[in-house]
Amino acid sequence: MVSHPGTLSPTINIDPFQAAQLLGHRLNETPEFKAFLAASQAVHNDVTLQKLSAEMRAHQTALQWGRDPDGQHAAELTRLELVIEDLPAMQEYREREKEVSTLFQAVDKVISEEAGVDFAVNAQHTGCSCGG
Amino acid sequence: MELTPEIQDAARHLGQCMRQDDYIRKYLDALEETHIDPEASALEKNMYDEYERLIAREQAGEILSNADTRDFYELRQQVQDNPLITRRNHMHRQIRPYLNQIAEEISFVLGVDYTILAKPH
Repeated sequence: MVSHPGTLSPTINIDPFQAAQLLGHRLNETPEFKAFLAASQAVHNDVTLQKLSAEMRAHQTALQWGRDPDGQHAAELTRLELVIEDLPAMQEYREREKEVSTLFQAVDKVISEEAGVDFAVNAQHTGCSCGG
Repeated sequence: MELTPEIQDAARHLGQCMRQDDYIRKYLDALEETHIDPEASALEKNMYDEYERLIAREQAGEILSNADTRDFYELRQQVQDNPLITRRNHMHRQIRPYLNQIAEEISFVLGVDYTILAKPH
């Protein structure tokens, strides 16, 4: 069937929630998303990363409680962030994240063009009730 | 990026379902009315043009006075008072939680937030 933006056959189910579920299942099967999940799991299981994350949390807690008069916690936090980003598991994760993001952006472009409204940008939680 | 036909179809189908939805159609109608109304579209264009000019002056190191920004605030007030723009903005605020619910269907299947990965960086 050839379809055009803005037209929809009356025989097509027009429930956007079901259509969103179907799209979710199709995206779930893509090699890009599978690779992203695997990289995400690898990051989660990386022992070095877990140890560094625990150290980061300790510095973050110190900062939250205002216990950083000489800026040592902030400096250490920045250093640890850089160390984490350099880990092979994290670099792999960033690469896969970039790929899946490229895929999802292309998908979102199609949805937005058909719908007439930018989807992902407008669908994000705003974090407030102001609707901004 | 080249999408597979299956993904392309599913994305297109979702977009079409959204466009057919009453809630979103009301927003699109309000958007269209604002676009085709010469007064509303000119007001918005003038406001954004003025905003860009002020930003450019600030970035060039100029300290803006109240008099410099007065025109912008007056324009902004006129934009906020325009009934078509008000209606469109209201409808836009209304559809955002609805779009969020639709996106959450995708996110639920994937186990990750679709909107974060799909948002242009």
